[in-house]
Amino acid sequence: MTILHVLRGRTALHLARTVSALGARRPGARFPRALALGALLLGAPTARAQDKAVAIRGGTVLPISGPAIPNGTVVMRGGKIVAVGANVSIPAGAEIVDARGKYVMPGVIDAATQIGLEATDQNEASDPVTPGLRAFESWNPFGTFGGGKPGPLRNKELLAGGVTTMYPSPADATIIGGQGFIAKNAGPNVEAMLVREIAAMDMTLGTPPKSAARARNRDPYTRMAEVAMIRAALIKAQEYVRNRAANPSLPRDLGNEALGKLLAREMPARIQANSATDIRSALRLAEEFNLQLIIDGGAAAYEFRDELARRKVPVVLGQVSHPYVSNEEIPDKQDYPPVDERLAGRLTAAGVTTAIASFARAFGTLAPAVSGKWLLLDASIAAGYGMADADVLKAVTLVPATILGIADRVGSLEVGKDADVIVLDGNPLSVKTWVERAYVNGELVHQR
Amino acid sequence: MQVARFLSGVAIAVVPAVLAAQGDATVIRGATIHPASGAPIRNGAILIQGGKITAIGSSVNAPAGARIIDATGKDIVPGFVDNHSHIGARPTDLNDSPMVVGPQHRILDALDLADPDFKDAISGGVTTIVTGPGSGENVSGMAIVIKTTGDGLADRLLLEKGGMKFAMGAKSRERYPTTTMGVAANLRQYLIKTQEYMAAQKKWADGDQKGTPPARDLGYEAMSDVLTHKTYVRAHVHSATDVMTLLRLKDEFGFDLTLHHSTEAYKLAPEIAKRGVSAVVLPLGPRIGVTDDALSGPATLWKAGVKVAMHTDAPVINQKWLRLCAAIVMRYGVPEEEALKMVTLNAAQIAHVADRVGSLEVGKDADLVIFDGAWYEPRSRVDMVFNSGKLAFERTKEGN
Repeated sequence: MTILHVLRGRTALHLARTVSALGARRPGARFPRALALGALLLGAPTARAQDKAVAIRGGTVLPISGPAIPNGTVVMRGGKIVAVGANVSIPAGAEIVDARGKYVMPGVIDAATQIGLEATDQNEASDPVTPGLRAFESWNPFGTFGGGKPGPLRNKELLAGGVTTMYPSPADATIIGGQGFIAKNAGPNVEAMLVREIAAMDMTLGTPPKSAARARNRDPYTRMAEVAMIRAALIKAQEYVRNRAANPSLPRDLGNEALGKLLAREMPARIQANSATDIRSALRLAEEFNLQLIIDGGAAAYEFRDELARRKVPVVLGQVSHPYVSNEEIPDKQDYPPVDERLAGRLTAAGVTTAIASFARAFGTLAPAVSGKWLLLDASIAAGYGMADADVLKAVTLVPATILGIADRVGSLEVGKDADVIVLDGNPLSVKTWVERAYVNGELVHQR
Repeated sequence: MQVARFLSGVAIAVVPAVLAAQGDATVIRGATIHPASGAPIRNGAILIQGGKITAIGSSVNAPAGARIIDATGKDIVPGFVDNHSHIGARPTDLNDSPMVVGPQHRILDALDLADPDFKDAISGGVTTIVTGPGSGENVSGMAIVIKTTGDGLADRLLLEKGGMKFAMGAKSRERYPTTTMGVAANLRQYLIKTQEYMAAQKKWADGDQKGTPPARDLGYEAMSDVLTHKTYVRAHVHSATDVMTLLRLKDEFGFDLTLHHSTEAYKLAPEIAKRGVSAVVLPLGPRIGVTDDALSGPATLWKAGVKVAMHTDAPVINQKWLRLCAAIVMRYGVPEEEALKMVTLNAAQIAHVADRVGSLEVGKDADLVIFDGAWYEPRSRVDMVFNSGKLAFERTKEGN
């Protein structure tokens, strides 16, 4: 992509936003309309297309935030949900989507993925501590997801699995990998897809970073060193914040600035920790530095259920069909507790906020790049292992939205939320079911 | 065992009715039975005696004293057969990387029967597996076919020469071969050397004994089993280019070939079908599952007449989820009973053990799985697994 392209995309986006804002205030004005046309020609999202109401009528509506609505209707307009219920009036001129015999639910949210990060762009392996990096600046969701030939819009694969929002982050070969971001799964360019550029500080404990470091013959060789190095980095950041506050003319340091935000609880710490040792270390670090902690992976989390519930630490679990949340092809088995399909249900029952995510890696590593496509299928495994259906669906929609801090926008079908809606041809928890339609911000972005 | 057999012999002579009780007969009835070898039997029954299936149908005569299992409303399928995995050995024992061609390596020499992965397998209804060396070399050695439960190696081993592992794709970055053409040339060269080795050995055996006898070479010896059809080639392959190379090598050297992973095999479905080559596919795997085309691959191959099986590559995918592979290919157009065959009968046939396992038929091992719902749904649970007639797994209240 040339600089010209980038500039054009940003200008177009800016124009579109302006148009959208102006248009909302003065819908009849000619000037913004002309601008909107200009924005359309430049390839930006069009507010106009979404201004027409769309009513998905007659399906079994699963709002997630409330009980199922048989023969329900969802109305979308201007990129938002404007009505949900059994008896809602459909605006005149609305496009009607017949969903009789089908299921309608919010788009799936994948709370942990490397989708769109090429294999060579997932880990800044030259340094185990890289808090200043932003995963968004490696992101290429329209590419091939790692090696191979250039391909068309691979984000469509995820849309086919109903995934409309995701949290891509640096992978796990470093102890402090950088900042993950939140994005929608469709849009004309990456910036338009962005929901939050700096969403969390992504960190890892356990085998993946120490084996990567060992391969380069440097620290951290052990778990002891992993924790010591994180502790040292956080202390250094405390000092940086203190010194900068006292003397604002001190030179800026991006890594310490980012860790400063972490220490100020302006963003959460996402710490990948699977073994009991690693989860314990994550909890201790969070306590020591007053971090807003989220546990990623969490294979041994059941042992800590009471503490996790009491301290309100959420857990983002990996898929059970791809159990090893690691960048090693065949990891040290002893390092990972045995797969337990009951975990999501048991943690939820114990009061731990628990999401199910894909941890999708790019080509050549364990979970397939598009394993997010199978999140509903993995969730259905949890349903077989004692988790209530309603909780299972929540674990891939409203719960990840809450963990990501975007539940005011996505995760359920409620008036005022983004119109991220999927229509399925059967029960979402059957392997035979297909996502027939996916809407992102009210736009139809997938149709089977 | 010997004592039990003797006792049951006595029982026959005295009171035939006691035979059943002594012979630990079990009847499972009321379920929908999917035998894999034929159409489903609604409300069917199976009789198990001496580790084998002795009757199957809409009803069977339950011998007096037989244990009766009411499986009303459940699904019964044959014990699953995973045609390709690497469990039962340490990850560091799978690839002897310095030896790029190592047909003399046998997974049997690295086998740990107590590997906890076998427990995972049986809990998902997988009763028989092929396990073998990895894919780090052009030829990495001999696989075995083994039951996931049983008493010791002799009881569990179904086939010692379970197939010779080839791996296409330039794996080594440091030394020959580093290219796709290098791998092909390396394989061709080794097969030619094996032919020459066999000729020299035969010449000596035929009486032309001048000088010293030809030295034995374990590698060529192992590979000569491939060329004499005592075993077959299990080739790890992803790209269509490498699939074609394998088919051409097969044409040239005449060995029996099966494709594994088979990511792009669907692009050559007619060529594969024409040669009677089978394809084993991993739709859940790390390198596959990328595009709908690849996921439709098993359906494409099946429609072209290729015998298809699924595999987990465990521990890459936990072996207990083998059935998920079948479920996924069902989504992509393979009918239910064909999808079932891909994780049972077809997998057993490709592994050369279909005389013992892979379908629910009289005379075969009593390997079966009872599900509390449709066997292919991820949310259905395994209630019980029988392996060689023994209850090898039962779901507890805890929901293990």
